[in-house]
Amino acid sequence: MPIEVNNLSYSYKKGTPFEKQVLSNINLKINDGEFVGIIGPTQAGKTTLAQHFNALLVPDQGRVIVNGVDLAEKKADLVKLRHNVGYVFQNPDYQLFEPTVGEDIAFGPRNQNLPPKEIENRVLEAMAQVGLDYDTFNKRDIFALSGGQKRRAAIAGVLACKPQIMILDDVTAGLDPGGRKEIINVIKKLHHEQEITTIYISNSMDEIAALAERIIVLNQGQVLFDDQTGEVFLHARKLIDIGLELPEVMNITTRLIEAGFNLPGAILSIDQAVHAIAASLQKGQVDA
Amino acid sequence: MNPLIEVANLSYSYRAGSGNEVAALKDITMKVFEGELLAITGRNGSGKSTLARHFNCLLTPVSGSVEVDGLSVSDKCNVASIRRQVGMVFQNPDNQLVSSIVEEDIAFGPENLGLPAEEIRRRVDWALKTLNLKNLQYESLNQLSEGQKQLVAIAGVLAMKPRCIVLDEPTAHLDPRSRREVIKNALRLNREEGITIVLLTHFMEEVTHCDRMIVMDMGEIKMEGSPREVFDSEEKIINLGLDFPVSAKLAEGLRKQGIRIPRKTINAEELIKSLCQLK
Amino acid sequence: MELTKNITLGVYLPGNTLIHTLDPRTKIVATALLITLLLFIKSYLAYVLFLILIIAILIIATIPPGYAFCGLKPMLPILLLMWIFQLFLYSTPGATVIFSWWIFSATDAGLHMGNLISMRVLFLFTVTTILTLTTSIVSLTDGLESLLNPLKKIGLPTQELVMTMIIALRFVLILAEELDKIIKAQMARGVAFDRGNFIQKTRNLFPVFLPLFINAFKRAEELIVAMEARSYSGGKGRTKMKTLHMGRLDLLAGLFMLLFSVLVVYLILTIPPAI
Repeated sequence: MPIEVNNLSYSYKKGTPFEKQVLSNINLKINDGEFVGIIGPTQAGKTTLAQHFNALLVPDQGRVIVNGVDLAEKKADLVKLRHNVGYVFQNPDYQLFEPTVGEDIAFGPRNQNLPPKEIENRVLEAMAQVGLDYDTFNKRDIFALSGGQKRRAAIAGVLACKPQIMILDDVTAGLDPGGRKEIINVIKKLHHEQEITTIYISNSMDEIAALAERIIVLNQGQVLFDDQTGEVFLHARKLIDIGLELPEVMNITTRLIEAGFNLPGAILSIDQAVHAIAASLQKGQVDA
Repeated sequence: MNPLIEVANLSYSYRAGSGNEVAALKDITMKVFEGELLAITGRNGSGKSTLARHFNCLLTPVSGSVEVDGLSVSDKCNVASIRRQVGMVFQNPDNQLVSSIVEEDIAFGPENLGLPAEEIRRRVDWALKTLNLKNLQYESLNQLSEGQKQLVAIAGVLAMKPRCIVLDEPTAHLDPRSRREVIKNALRLNREEGITIVLLTHFMEEVTHCDRMIVMDMGEIKMEGSPREVFDSEEKIINLGLDFPVSAKLAEGLRKQGIRIPRKTINAEELIKSLCQLK
Repeated sequence: MELTKNITLGVYLPGNTLIHTLDPRTKIVATALLITLLLFIKSYLAYVLFLILIIAILIIATIPPGYAFCGLKPMLPILLLMWIFQLFLYSTPGATVIFSWWIFSATDAGLHMGNLISMRVLFLFTVTTILTLTTSIVSLTDGLESLLNPLKKIGLPTQELVMTMIIALRFVLILAEELDKIIKAQMARGVAFDRGNFIQKTRNLFPVFLPLFINAFKRAEELIVAMEARSYSGGKGRTKMKTLHMGRLDLLAGLFMLLFSVLVVYLILTIPPAI
């Protein structure tokens, strides 16, 4: 179920004095099974772009084609599309509508008019996928959940629709480090075991570096880079110029390079950094 | 250093939806010293926010005592005077900005203090200048980014000229660049204006800039000391739902490779310095 | 889908025009005057005068007319319904029947009544929108507070009333934004808000309100705590950074409004009503 975007442009509050162009002339393609990170400074258009993938927004110009169907066509089945392209929003408080966890997860499947038995199975399965124990949490009040649990419930609500593509829009914001780790492990597992195409929007470069295979960098509504993760972070200077940061570990290695260390330009994990620094030091000693 | 805020044997509990009493704070004893930069950290629900809300009378102790500059927060007569001394900035800027124009919002606090118009004007101008917001003075708040809004919220508290500002996860929902900007300004207020700062945060990189830190869990203080002392044991920190700063992790990894990085290296500057000496 | 796009009430369009810089009290009194006049107008000529005035104000204030009127869009079905009701149900003795169908008959009197009432609603809405588009919430409330000041003497908590109004207006936009998010989240899980007929669309709205109200209460509570933390304790002892003062422009604007009112009153008194 590939996503194809051709010459997409979009303006916010079109036709009012507050009109503002958010996206201009975007072209990209997301293939089955990819893990794509979308990054960019605030107001670069990340969320606006992603909300076109499941037709929550309709382009002013250009086309969005999912699985060969142009979403602007009248006959496009948007309800089915939105089950295939799941979207998890940043704030769980806006996406939990029912009083209990189990009922909320059943919200999507119920909209598909599935038989009760099937809905029940989907809830069971989705809760298992995000690591919420069914007996403990099925009847649990939504408001009695912690921040991390709420986010897992929100992800389960989308998984219960059996999506082939999942969009995660800054889902770890505001969580403590332990909570972040839990959510990231759930997302990793889903991508590896279920082969769900994952589109991950985040402000955290550490998470992007650790998760994404490919990164799309947006700046002022345009695609600045679209490449493998290691390649994108080679443009460290440019990323900082547009208002992004580097992964924390690269903040250190980049300064070491400036201090004369011989290290690769893009380093995405602590292990990688340890080995590169160790190698550089050894070589230095040999040279000396 | 003199203690500005003194907490002794503080306990607090609230009634949950089911009617049960939930203990949010258990027998807390701690101090905030005049002029220091104190970080309070701990996982969501650890009680740090509940503790901080006692510092300016938003909550009053169920048992134990909290005193600000010798004034008890439990005494209603002290509320106005304590709130003048301890300001508070919250996580979501949208829920704490009252007005719709930047300078008018900053004036809200001083106006509540009943100051004369010229004095309010002076303080608003000073707060705008101190936080480099001069160019946004007349902007409409809903045209600002979240990071800018948070700086306006800090300016609004600063204009009240408090001795202490409590920042309750001010960066939780910000992008990295705005986060850095907010923290940089908090540090500056502490170093240059001598304002005591209490920073509640989940970001370990932010904690390493502080003079002292407290780690809370389940309503209790689990660790306390300088970041260097607290970040000595990775296992303990992880068990408390937190993380190790990246510099400390990297230092640890390098030590395991036999590279001589001193223990207790917790920030990038120190790590880079040690590595450059080895080169 | 953008819900907030067509909300103009409570939105402030920053600017530096003549209209923007008038003292809020001038604008509030002028708006009140126009509203009163509108309630008495019964001739098309007076409405033409009003239309000219409003277009002139929009041009001076550099508000695109299309934007000023787009807030009316959601009201159009109701207006149409009202017009049809008047057309068929209102009549005066001696009115001419234009056409009849089954037991209903439309008279020229009904037609005029429908026209006049619809125009009245349209103009009332537009006049108020112009006030909020050109006056920031704060100066609006400062103006109101100052105008209501005499009532303080009889014990009315005017400052608190005005503070409540500021917050209510701020929440109109916040709630609309939240509604937008919740509806999107429900659409993302298969609720078809953007498809289906009117009844289906209305029914779909129900599950939206639970999260909306819970979030609204949560936000209101946080706002109250934040205000308290900033030493707010009601109007008592509060001072103001800015004091309002009227200038020559306000005098001119006032004179102009007076002239306009006299003209309209003259029309009301001399021109026989259309019905």
